[in-house]
Amino acid sequence: MNKPEYRRFDTLVIGAGGGGLRAALQLARAEANVAVVSKVFPTRSHTVAAQGGINAALGNVRPDNWHWHMYDTVKGSDYLGDQDAIEYMCRSAAHLVYELEHAGVPFSRLENGKIYQRPFGGQSMNFGGEQAARTCAAADRTGHAMLHTLYQQNIRAKTHFFDEYFAIDLLRDEEGFILGAVVLDIETGEPLVIEAKTTLIATGGAGQLFRTNTNAHINTGDGLAMALRAGLPLQDMEFFQFHPTGIAGKGMLITEGARGEGGYLVNKDGERFMERYAPHAKDLASRDVVSRAIATEVREGRGCGPNGDYVLLKLDHLGEEVLKKRLPGILDLIRTFLHIDPAKEPVPVFPTAHYTMGGIPTNRHGQVVAPVEQGEEVIPGLYAAGECACVSVHGANRLGGNSLLDIVVFGRAAGNHIIEYLRENRYHRPLPPDAVDRPLARLARWDRKGEGESVAGLRAELQATMEEYCGVFRTQSVLDEGVAKILELERRLDDVRLQDHSRIFNTARIEALELENLVALAVATVVSAQARTESRGAHSRIDYPERDDVHWLKHTLFFREDRRLEYKPVTLKPLSVESFPPKERVY
Amino acid sequence: MASMRFRIYRYNPETDTGPRMQDFVLEDVQPGMMLRDALLRLKEQDETLTFRHSCGEGVCGSDAMNINGTNGLACITPLAGLKEPVEIRPVPKLPVIRDLVVDMDEFYHHYRSVKPYLIVHDPEPEVEFLQSPQEREKLDGLYECILCGCCTTFCPSFWWNPGKFRGPAALLQACRFLVDSRDQATAERLEDLEGPYRLFRCHTIMNCVNVCPKGLNPTAAINTIKRLMVKDMI
Amino acid sequence: MTFRAQGLRAWLLQRLSAAYLALFTILAVGWLLFGEPVDYAAWRQLLGTPWISVLMALFFMALFFHAWVGIRDVLMDYVPHLKLRLFLLIAVAVLLLALAIWSALTLVSVYRP
Repeated sequence: MNKPEYRRFDTLVIGAGGGGLRAALQLARAEANVAVVSKVFPTRSHTVAAQGGINAALGNVRPDNWHWHMYDTVKGSDYLGDQDAIEYMCRSAAHLVYELEHAGVPFSRLENGKIYQRPFGGQSMNFGGEQAARTCAAADRTGHAMLHTLYQQNIRAKTHFFDEYFAIDLLRDEEGFILGAVVLDIETGEPLVIEAKTTLIATGGAGQLFRTNTNAHINTGDGLAMALRAGLPLQDMEFFQFHPTGIAGKGMLITEGARGEGGYLVNKDGERFMERYAPHAKDLASRDVVSRAIATEVREGRGCGPNGDYVLLKLDHLGEEVLKKRLPGILDLIRTFLHIDPAKEPVPVFPTAHYTMGGIPTNRHGQVVAPVEQGEEVIPGLYAAGECACVSVHGANRLGGNSLLDIVVFGRAAGNHIIEYLRENRYHRPLPPDAVDRPLARLARWDRKGEGESVAGLRAELQATMEEYCGVFRTQSVLDEGVAKILELERRLDDVRLQDHSRIFNTARIEALELENLVALAVATVVSAQARTESRGAHSRIDYPERDDVHWLKHTLFFREDRRLEYKPVTLKPLSVESFPPKERVY
Repeated sequence: MASMRFRIYRYNPETDTGPRMQDFVLEDVQPGMMLRDALLRLKEQDETLTFRHSCGEGVCGSDAMNINGTNGLACITPLAGLKEPVEIRPVPKLPVIRDLVVDMDEFYHHYRSVKPYLIVHDPEPEVEFLQSPQEREKLDGLYECILCGCCTTFCPSFWWNPGKFRGPAALLQACRFLVDSRDQATAERLEDLEGPYRLFRCHTIMNCVNVCPKGLNPTAAINTIKRLMVKDMI
Repeated sequence: MTFRAQGLRAWLLQRLSAAYLALFTILAVGWLLFGEPVDYAAWRQLLGTPWISVLMALFFMALFFHAWVGIRDVLMDYVPHLKLRLFLLIAVAVLLLALAIWSALTLVSVYRP
């Protein structure tokens, strides 16, 4: 390996999904010198796959108000969301959606020319009243429309992109400042040191932890694992969202918008079973509620199909016309992968791993925070935004349509705060001479030759283990066993060897580095889940079926060192309005 | 179930003097499998087999390749119905980095060259720009492009003039902004496409339409641009 | 023959000339099939008629322009070598120009107002 090249930028953005691109845009427009590093070409980032839409209380279809949106989000989070951040997000939502529209996002339209909004799960008017329609949509390709638009605006702003560069590890000095990262040029196989006054992690989630997931192959939580290795904690990793309607057995996502447009779920008796679980909201209850309902139906023998292992999503009553206009992508997807016509037949669905609610703890400016003896402190120079961050606006369960909102709100917020930080910190701090040693060693570890386990084999085992031992329903004994199994896999990671040692576009090596990240996150997830003896949001324990606000209204913090857990209080006090105190959560 | 035979283009510039075709056999082919699933399993046989892929459902546009002589996305190409041995090559014309991975810089350059972003000169309202459903409908079939490159790299006009002809993907994007009722740079965009090469190398061969995995029609988009040019002239 | 007719104009004129050529050819063929079988003198007489003469002149203009755009396109696509392409373009231009002048002279020589 040659001595790495060094480059210097004001800001390094790792990840070119919606969050990274929104931040980069803010920075490039402020004429900061930004480098965006992405392991794939930006428009291939997973934001592209988001379908249903982005929440904002525009009130274009039904009356709406940001405060109602805030209530729904707090309730949806099962009261684990931090209410200051939630208020901030819901208040900025309308402005940010208009901004996206001005930037070119091809939103679907209403007859009066305004942005089309559809009902989504967990939305209500008047703090728990009638169903709201809050999700702004570009047909069922909203993520695609947003990601492409944001990339396009970055082209216009002349942002500096490092496409197909893989971030290996953060650089940190003695005083705890983050000084950039070592990245790997995938095409040449050469490492590159990017020094930056500020670094933003926007690497998305880790859906690849589970075998059946709605996520792309690239969603391996690289940023989260980097944070862990830099000695930072991860927050609330036990909360992993299972989307109710993944295509059964395959995992491709069918947007909640399908139910928003009027689709509903039935069991093998043809019963609209959601009426039993959520009499009021029915099929548009929160995702955790619907996922549990489906899993329960299947467990109790009311599943459909020869093995009774899925339920059916009925869309045929909506008519070809509505499907073509509002859900064209879904129509294509189902025809391609299931060879059935949703305009005629119902679609087999099952809860599928979808979204990482947990992540790198940040405040609402996107600054990464870590606990100290009294309260917490900011990690200087480090920011995180999007799915990899845990602000926490999603708490124990994210509402559909809030993730596209999260990425633009906190991408922009981080961008703004970085601009301020850069104003006060004008110069690069010196990089300790040995700072790059650890990242380079991480890379060199994969040069070891010889026989050993394969990356693909271990990854498959990891995913199967996570699915079996850390799925929709959890119990103490299953989780204990899961922890043991995952730790065993972590140990076996050392026996994995690559057969491909070439430099040029070595995807095997990238996958090995991703596997390391996944294993670290699997440990964080199962260990966090093992400790939480209550049911809250996506974390549902059969042995502890109730939410326990007395003991567990707190965020989990997982540290890599000794797999230590700490806890921090939930921020119940919003910025300007009254707090929504925890109460029973019914839909 | 049955096994399937593959012939895959291999080239690693570090070790190979030139490209070669490698034969693979995949056992236990399951019904409903897509080509990407097969490639992933072949990569388990031979870790050095290199290709891009990500979302697995045809929205990220990573895994464009030449499959039995036609461009397509591996993740939405069913194995059933492919003639054996399935011959897989990188998409034509672009420089090969390794195996099925090509250098797409030229493609992206053309994309950037058509100013693929909304240009508005008027002050922005505090709410959304109004756009009727009919105006919005004009963007259907244009905005859905995933930049996979299937069309452009299968266009003979692009093969002949890769440096100068913008190619169907970029022209589709140009059209997407030209017909957007919110965009105010029509004249400038049309002017940028003048000249014998950028747009007018298209000879309506329509390979782009045949291979587009999203079912889009770049040829129609190019014709729309020509129509707008004529309208602009008279 | 260029008069800044590189992109749109060339394309448009190619289309227009094609339409004219097609129309003219149909009419001419129709004339030959169903019209009077004629001798040399009658031909001269016919081509000397002013309006026929104008139609013929337009025909040749359309023909040579159409040929120019078509051949130019073929050369642009198939001859990547720039110097060779330039040489061939000039050769074609000279040839077409010569043919144009020749046809013009012919038309003038038989013209009888």
